[in-house]
Amino acid sequence: MKALDIAFKDTLRAFRSGFLLVMMFVAPLLITGLIYFAFGSLTASGGFDLPVTRVAVANLDQPDPASTFAVGQMLADHLQDESLADLLQVTIAPGAASARAAVDRQEADVALIVPPDFTVAVLGPDLRAALTLYYDPALTIKPAILRTLLGGFIDGFSGAKIAVGVTALQLEARGLSIDEATGWSVAQGYTEWLQASGADHVHLAGGAMETQAPSRDAPQADSRRGMIGSVMAGMLVFFVFFTGAGSASSIIHEDEQGTLARLLTTPTSRAVILGGKFAASLFTLVVQALVLLIASTLVFDIHWGEPLTVTLVTIGLVVVAAGFGVLLMSFVKTTRQAGPIQGGVLTVMGLLGGLFTGFIPDLPKAFDTLSLTMPQGWAMRGWQIALSSASAAETLLPVAVMLVLGTAFFAVGVLVFRRRFA
Amino acid sequence: MRVIDLALKDWLQIVRDRKSALFLVLMPILFTFFFGRIFNAAEGDARLPVGWLDRDGGTLTTRLRVMVETSEALRLVALSESEAASIDARVRDEELAAALIVPAGFTAQTLAGTDVPLTVIVPSTFAGQTASTALQAIVMRLLGTVQTAQLSAEAYEARQPFAGSGARQAYIEDAIRLAGDAWQQPPLMMTAEPAGSTGKAQSRTGFMQASPGMIVQFAVFSLVTSAMVLVLERKSKMLERLLTTPIRRAELIGGHMLAMFVVVFLQEAMLVALGQLLFQVDYLREPLGTLLMMAALALWVSSLGLFIATLARGPEQVIMWSLIAMFLFAPLGGAWFPLEVAGQAFAAIGHLTPAAWAMDGFQNIVTRGLDLSSTLAPAGILLAYTVAFFGLAVWRFRFD
Repeated sequence: MKALDIAFKDTLRAFRSGFLLVMMFVAPLLITGLIYFAFGSLTASGGFDLPVTRVAVANLDQPDPASTFAVGQMLADHLQDESLADLLQVTIAPGAASARAAVDRQEADVALIVPPDFTVAVLGPDLRAALTLYYDPALTIKPAILRTLLGGFIDGFSGAKIAVGVTALQLEARGLSIDEATGWSVAQGYTEWLQASGADHVHLAGGAMETQAPSRDAPQADSRRGMIGSVMAGMLVFFVFFTGAGSASSIIHEDEQGTLARLLTTPTSRAVILGGKFAASLFTLVVQALVLLIASTLVFDIHWGEPLTVTLVTIGLVVVAAGFGVLLMSFVKTTRQAGPIQGGVLTVMGLLGGLFTGFIPDLPKAFDTLSLTMPQGWAMRGWQIALSSASAAETLLPVAVMLVLGTAFFAVGVLVFRRRFA
Repeated sequence: MRVIDLALKDWLQIVRDRKSALFLVLMPILFTFFFGRIFNAAEGDARLPVGWLDRDGGTLTTRLRVMVETSEALRLVALSESEAASIDARVRDEELAAALIVPAGFTAQTLAGTDVPLTVIVPSTFAGQTASTALQAIVMRLLGTVQTAQLSAEAYEARQPFAGSGARQAYIEDAIRLAGDAWQQPPLMMTAEPAGSTGKAQSRTGFMQASPGMIVQFAVFSLVTSAMVLVLERKSKMLERLLTTPIRRAELIGGHMLAMFVVVFLQEAMLVALGQLLFQVDYLREPLGTLLMMAALALWVSSLGLFIATLARGPEQVIMWSLIAMFLFAPLGGAWFPLEVAGQAFAAIGHLTPAAWAMDGFQNIVTRGLDLSSTLAPAGILLAYTVAFFGLAVWRFRFD
């Protein structure tokens, strides 16, 4: 009963601390909310709502004045088409220098410079030309978007030229020559085939490819929810560990205030005192985890996984965080040390444990391995398995590791505390 | 002189606290190295791994494979039929960016004029979408070679008939080979040229994002130590006792702010040196611009520190407000990830924060290769924020 009294007292103190309440609930939801807002461009269908690229076009093309065929103008018109309005914001620059200057002044993301001989190269056999993309090197996605759009356009003309060139080569190899009418016929045939294929700036290959998503992606098939789930899991783990250490620091507080010394003069054993404080820590962490899981489900629409899986991983997280908190605080001498140690050590461990990289795709595999050297890494692994809607059986390893580590941390922490307050 | 004496006192207090080494030195270095390595696509093979399962084995598939293998964007990972069952899982687990399955009969049916779609397994990730786009372009080029062959054969037949179906087949195959070879060097191409006054292509590294990002982030986080001094001084009533001395209130505030400025500036100098010497981030290509940004950032952060010191009632609150400031300003400012990858609204709101302008100033130098003039606007905006935060801090400042 004394242990319960001590647990109740510590829990009440924790939930009356504005600082702890902010760190337990407000901070993790705030940070996840920021990331959610930042990557809100990811669509519910799982695709990407791409940013608008500002393009300054300098069309220097000089087609034959007697002809209406001007590829440079066709390209400029294509980029200004309404169908691309969500992707491109095009301005026509008077020359190459002004287009480049627009990029240098960050008024444009990319300058597209069409060379003077572009149409001539398209029409002439054995002639070549190159578009120049002058881009802001701080950007990666926007230049890539423009390259993709331009690639489809110029591949169409390249394909027609190649078709005419190959036909000419083959006919000449058999003692025949290609005339202008045949050349135009081949080019036109190629263009008609391209148009009939259904290829556009979204489906570059038309109907030639069938795209499928990998299975068991369904609950997080929404790319944004999948990423937000990872981010929230990272924040959940980080701040539960933070609270675990914070709860354990109550021992240091009581030691400084003198109440611990008075408590130790009573018949209450050290085991009961530490047990009560550990129970308070466990209870506080369970409440914190539950509140964050429910709040994040409601606010960010995260599907955490099967109930049994979530329960197991939560238990593992709470035990390892509480145990680690006791261990960490057992080495701290004063409350003044506790705060910075708590912040610094847990931040570094969180970094190595992969808690802050949930929004970064395609991380190196070595990083996954490194993260498992931290208890936070195992907690994160458990949550990633849960988020993929795996069965409880698949979480047994990370949960078992967390339980063992938590118990070991607690045991060592208690040993250090007992020696300190012997 | 009293201002300097007070600043020196604060400085000694910070330096003598061993925890300061953790927040001011160790953590920034570790985070810079860590995030720089993660973002660094320049090392190793940056091409996206694409699984390849060939159930056809025909000439067209062989040519398609060559086109994928010679792609600058993709790295082919050949799979056998026994691995087919694991393709889905490998794509889902992001071991493969995507997987392409060529169905049996693809070559024969495509040459016969029948459309046979290729199957692509693509996750809803950025890498997956990028791989899918690159594959689509390659597939269209391949199908273009088939169309070229058909058109060429028709052009020949318009002059004289083929000797037989075998001759036609040989003609077609020759045309496909010629067209495929031509696509290796297409007649119309694109060349990419990065902007910047250096005039030479810079290969962008992850450290060009991580280094300035961590400078900005840990400039704010350093307030955990520097703002703490002022709060502890108030809590211990030392601040009140100082008021009984001839030191003026303005000197008190100035001294503490100067200490914060020095702490932040020296930390920035350390990280700039680290970036320059170890991570090939060329801050010194524009030393005056870098110095201006360092000073402007340090001024803003020290005014923020003064403001935090007015809000915090105790050491715990200093940590709380410093952490909240870091977690707010760092992502909004583009310190964690380029604002380019975030939504437009987020990027616009981010630029309402001083951290985004600090990042812009540093990125103008190290990534865009621009000169001193490109740092004037960001530095000016940081100075404006300094005045605003300083005004707020002085308004709220209490000596007891």
